[in-house]
Amino acid sequence: MSKKRKEVVQSIKDAAAQIKDGMAIAVGGFGADNHPMALIREIIRNGTKNLTVVASATAGLEVDLLIGAGCVKKLVAPYVGLEMFCPIGHNYRKYVESKQIEVWECSEYILYAGLFAAASGQEFFAWRGGVGTSIPELNRDLVEFVDPIGKSKKVLAVPPIRVDWALIHVGWADVYGNGQHVGMRFGDRWLARAANRIMLQTERVVPNTVIRRNPIMTTIAYADSVVEVPYGGHPYAAHGFYKEDEEAIRDYVKASEANRKGDTATWEDYLKRHVYGPADHYSYLDTVGIKKLLGLYTHPIVSW
Amino acid sequence: MRPTGDRMSEYSWKELMAIVFSREIEDTDKITSGAHTEIFFAATMLAQKTHAPNMKLQLGGGVALCNVVDQEVAELPKTSTGYELLRYCESVHDHPDTFITYGAPGGSRYYEPGSEFRNVNHFWFADKFFVGGIQADKYGNTNMIGLGTKDKMTFRGPGTIGINDIAVGVRDVYVFLTAHDKRRLVEKVDFISFPGKRICRENQFNGGGPKWMVTPKCIFDFDPDTLEARLAKLFPGSSVDDVRANTGFEVKVARKVETVAPPTREELEALRTEVDPTGVLRH
Repeated sequence: MSKKRKEVVQSIKDAAAQIKDGMAIAVGGFGADNHPMALIREIIRNGTKNLTVVASATAGLEVDLLIGAGCVKKLVAPYVGLEMFCPIGHNYRKYVESKQIEVWECSEYILYAGLFAAASGQEFFAWRGGVGTSIPELNRDLVEFVDPIGKSKKVLAVPPIRVDWALIHVGWADVYGNGQHVGMRFGDRWLARAANRIMLQTERVVPNTVIRRNPIMTTIAYADSVVEVPYGGHPYAAHGFYKEDEEAIRDYVKASEANRKGDTATWEDYLKRHVYGPADHYSYLDTVGIKKLLGLYTHPIVSW
Repeated sequence: MRPTGDRMSEYSWKELMAIVFSREIEDTDKITSGAHTEIFFAATMLAQKTHAPNMKLQLGGGVALCNVVDQEVAELPKTSTGYELLRYCESVHDHPDTFITYGAPGGSRYYEPGSEFRNVNHFWFADKFFVGGIQADKYGNTNMIGLGTKDKMTFRGPGTIGINDIAVGVRDVYVFLTAHDKRRLVEKVDFISFPGKRICRENQFNGGGPKWMVTPKCIFDFDPDTLEARLAKLFPGSSVDDVRANTGFEVKVARKVETVAPPTREELEALRTEVDPTGVLRH
């Protein structure tokens, strides 16, 4: 019997190859921050199809990219857009309006209720939010019942949201799969907790001693896979490392808007330039350019 | 913009909105401000800096509990989730916490009179919240889901985000529409993402539903008996007829309709020097 602990660091190719057609993946981050973009681009390069995507409570355009690249069959998301940059994701609109993807209609807390149910092995979690709205009409998996205690108020039963792999971006992680967020955590811990397997995209792999120096900071313990990809969140921000690349985001918004309006050539060109063209993550970073990347640096605000 | 040479008597629509919402905020409030940042972040930060230093403020989905009373705001945040928000906050939580562990109870003004104890039966996870919509109707039902029917959605909206979750637990919600026309203000919304006052009452929610519906032309409040919207305040430059002509439901008018006071010199100066020094709201 070996006394050596199992190390889970993988190449991005080996990690992404584990995401198979038809699986359910959860995608971490929130808004313009902390999305596992390098993993997403690799999944698209692999031509993975028919995914169920469980988005964060406020998905940004990372999910919109997966939709526009034809990887998604079903979407669990309370919102897809990016605030001032893009109030509604263009590919999301295009694919939902033309019924090319199915939406599991929910709200932020209905999403969490489903994740809690999955994480804790319960048949459902109960929540009053969503009663009196169109959500239960649009999502027949949500079952309205009358509170059995007080016997007067309506409640929704939210069934478990099953996830095969959660893809989460962290600031750093060790080789044993202990990841630490170095800024806001959003809903990442709950996406991870509901999943059967956890894949961490990390800015840096750090020695285990760094993790032990402040174990309170460990947000995700014992992930199944750790992939080191500096600037892996680009064009979005990674808390503690770099801010969002506004120019690159506007480029995305323009291309996806063209796609929605039927100009598929512009969209295909975007995918070629940013996803299919670069052979790997570092080739992708070459297309962004060192000057641009260094300019996105953010000085740490909090210390550990 | 009003055409005058005096800088402090000119203001943008966004600045006006930030100041109007800031005036609504009280020192005892607990407030949550979600996505679509700039106007509400400005309103809440301005309130803390001018008249509500104890107001409890959650900014964005990172659940950053912020107090900026003695903090310099170098630039209004452009997204509601950015790392820079950590400059202003004293506490950070997981996002689900906003609905459960951070929430109860509401601001102290709304506890039982005379009681010094928090009363969790008065479960408001915030006293005030701001929501948007692609449509709103006369009951204050708002729609972020889409246009059309269940079987044929001709326009897919952004999604409900968490606003229905907030309906069950926020005392006063301010519905905010960025344009005022018959496509947005309709007799009946195609889908309900945030239920209006009537549905909130029927379902015995702790949350009170919409307090106001604010548009670029006016502010509607709600008749306490019928729970229907009524024109309560006009913004400078609009009129009752103008509102009627551009609203898709029959406009009921409150007994007394006031015109919203334009920003004072002091309000604008505080906004521009303390909260929005780079002029994010000016454009």
